Amino acid sequence: MGTMEKLDEMSTSGAREYLTFRLDQEEYGIDILKVQEIRGYEPPTRVANAPNFIKGVVNLRGTIVPIVDMRLKFSCSKAEYNSFTVVIILNLKHRIVGIVVDSVSDVMELPPENLKAAPEIDSVIDSGSVLGLGSLGDRMLILLDIERLMAAPDMGLVAASE
Amino acid sequence: MAETHQDSGGGGGDFDLTQFYQIFFEEAGENLDQMEQMLLNLNLETADDEELNGIFRCAHSVKGGAATFGFTDVAELTHQMESLLDRLRRHELQPNAAMVDVLLESADASRSLLARHQAGGEGDGVPTADLVRRISDLAAGGSATPAPAPVQAKVSAPEQKVPVAVTPPKNKTTRSLEICIGPIERPEQADAVCELFRDIPGLGDIKALPSDRKDVRVFAVETASTDDDLLDLFAFHVSREHITIKNVDPVSLESSDPGYGFFEGAAGAPVAASYADDPQPGAPLAAFPGYGFFDGSPGAPVQIPAVVSSENGVLESKVASKVPAKTSPGTAAPQPEAATIRVAISKVDQLINLVGELVITQAMLAQNSRALDPAVYQQLLTGLADLDRNTRDLQESVMSIRMIPMSIVFSRFPRMLRDLAGKLGKKVDFVTQGEATELDKGLVEKITDPLTHLVRNSCDHGVEMPAERLAAGKSETGTITLSASHQGGSIVIEVRDDGRGMSREKILNKARERGLDVSDQMSDAEVWQLIFAPGFSTAAVVTDVSGRGVGMDVVKRNIAALNGTVEIDSAEGYGMKVSVRLPLTLAIMDGMSVGVGDEVYILPLSSVVESFQVKADAVSTVGQGSQLVKVRDEYMPVIELEKVFQIPRFDFEKSSDIMVVVEADGSRVVLLVDELLGQQQVVVKNLESNYRKVPNVSGATILGDGKVALILDTGALVRRSRH
Repeated sequence: MGTMEKLDEMSTSGAREYLTFRLDQEEYGIDILKVQEIRGYEPPTRVANAPNFIKGVVNLRGTIVPIVDMRLKFSCSKAEYNSFTVVIILNLKHRIVGIVVDSVSDVMELPPENLKAAPEIDSVIDSGSVLGLGSLGDRMLILLDIERLMAAPDMGLVAASE
Repeated sequence: MAETHQDSGGGGGDFDLTQFYQIFFEEAGENLDQMEQMLLNLNLETADDEELNGIFRCAHSVKGGAATFGFTDVAELTHQMESLLDRLRRHELQPNAAMVDVLLESADASRSLLARHQAGGEGDGVPTADLVRRISDLAAGGSATPAPAPVQAKVSAPEQKVPVAVTPPKNKTTRSLEICIGPIERPEQADAVCELFRDIPGLGDIKALPSDRKDVRVFAVETASTDDDLLDLFAFHVSREHITIKNVDPVSLESSDPGYGFFEGAAGAPVAASYADDPQPGAPLAAFPGYGFFDGSPGAPVQIPAVVSSENGVLESKVASKVPAKTSPGTAAPQPEAATIRVAISKVDQLINLVGELVITQAMLAQNSRALDPAVYQQLLTGLADLDRNTRDLQESVMSIRMIPMSIVFSRFPRMLRDLAGKLGKKVDFVTQGEATELDKGLVEKITDPLTHLVRNSCDHGVEMPAERLAAGKSETGTITLSASHQGGSIVIEVRDDGRGMSREKILNKARERGLDVSDQMSDAEVWQLIFAPGFSTAAVVTDVSGRGVGMDVVKRNIAALNGTVEIDSAEGYGMKVSVRLPLTLAIMDGMSVGVGDEVYILPLSSVVESFQVKADAVSTVGQGSQLVKVRDEYMPVIELEKVFQIPRFDFEKSSDIMVVVEADGSRVVLLVDELLGQQQVVVKNLESNYRKVPNVSGATILGDGKVALILDTGALVRRSRH
């Protein structure tokens, strides 16, 4: 799906709400409907042979949930774990995943006219996982297709054969 | 209900099967519903194999269960259905509308038969001979011979109807009835009976009459059917005890049935009286011979109190003239279904998770309150102690909802095997092992059918006739062993027999006959897998026990649906072993927690043989650094968990110096760990539902402090050491 089509699809469904979070200096937005809850960071149980950005698994009220540190995944300069570190629990199509971010900013509604297609850029993020860019005054929001990002094979969340 | 079942011939005797009746009735009901749905959706011209196989499997499952429980009438009818369906799916016959009709009717008839058994087997036998004849005509490729009275036979409950249809018209006098339905909570259900009259030609006419109560519907009916037939029909929509049939035209009835007057005096009057003032209206009827015609719960208060049999076999009923509104709603009959409820597994899971959370919260509170001064906070501490006890009780109760021992499944089989062996003229001993292995209820329900097929197969195909056994130098009596055990990350259920085993040759020949792609170079394991193909059977004769080849097909499918695998091991002349391996999601397991570095892992206690502290010189290396340790004259490979799981070590003072000997798949390895932390029961959680499969890990569990610990897959560790 081309970026323009994706934007079309978004704009036809009207303004959507996005949860925005910060990773280092960048601000990202994900569909609020994919977010189940936001929690503080607690040290997960390490899982052997996992990529470094998968911190391990935690117990979320009886469900075993993997925790992905987005700062390590997106190669941020530092990834500290302190009392302000936040985990966003995502409820995706087939699984529940937690992502670690620096901080959660707010929930905002983006009217379609503020959405811009993302230019082709060389980045650690697969361009297919970027829905577009949202502009809010002088802030730039990177809108992620979090479902696609988490299902990507290099995420290591799904077995290679799936 | 148990004592009535004893009389039904269905399952009394030396072994009490009644506890499984409910499960069977529910399963059979589901299967019949499913079959009906598939039949209705069946496109006659383009029916594909998948659909026909599906319908066939439904009939087969009902037959299997019915035979197990000794409901021979159901088994016989479904056997006939199966024969027809078998020819259809082999494309020996082209499905046509007449077949679908007769199959649907047979499904209905099976349902009525089952309902009769469920109600304790009271009442008349249900003649199915006509249906059986029609099915076999169709199966033989003949044209659809219509039933003597197809209109009548179409009625959903064809018992009693067939004789009515073929008896001379003197019994077919049309009667005028007034039928009261209510009081019921949803009177619109009663309106559905009007549709019955519309849908079933020849049943008669129905007209709604005004009713003085909202929850009661009154209808005027002109019909030739007997009251019992009407009740059977109506029972699809409203329960019987809410229906009252009043004859408004006694003259015509009396002329058609001279015995009627006598019965009216005998039964009608006391019944009517009992209605008004007896809190147990059923009681005075107990001694009345006609009582048994009720399919409803015996002993329960019945609101249509008298059914009378006259000499000519036609069933008539005398009806209380009291308006049912006078009956107290409190006397409603307790339904047998009330004993169990079927709840969505997800709801139970949610409950279990919530209770797990509660336990952890409680543990946290207990931990934090330890520092409090008991003198000052006495009440709080007492409350916390109560909370502790209550949460534990709660947790146990909730867990017990799902976990049941395998003995529940296993105890179904001795009776079935005894009957089966008797029928086949074989001698079979039945041995069970590991009955105490606990298994998730959801799994138990789904594993029962496949296991039934496997055990029947073993008895029918596996174990030879006594003479044959003697000739082969075996003891006269064959042995079928059913065992369950925890192995690695799975539960393994094995069905073994010491019979003739499978012939590689025969299977390959059969496979070629059926056009399957096979070659002589195939490994044994691959050849055995062939028997899982739909319709594959090497049995020479199709019996009602097995031989149609549907069994293994169903087994494989059902087990695959549980993420399980089936393995077959066989040696011709020596027997066969079928191992069903199921993941133990949510199974409770005894675990031993071990510490390595700062991490905790769980070992399945069933695979732990022993543990000991190791001396530095006990380990010797071989070749490229593989380590071996000598334990009582046996060299075993050493696996360092620290290396396998790349566990970071911060405290270099400590090192792994405890060895745990584990056994899996018949071989032993030694795991090197830092410390043994203790034994506990753990609930196995699936790691793959949100993550992927992790090598050497079979699952995860939640420890008392709320942390996740991984459960080691000892089987995988053992296999790893082999390479």
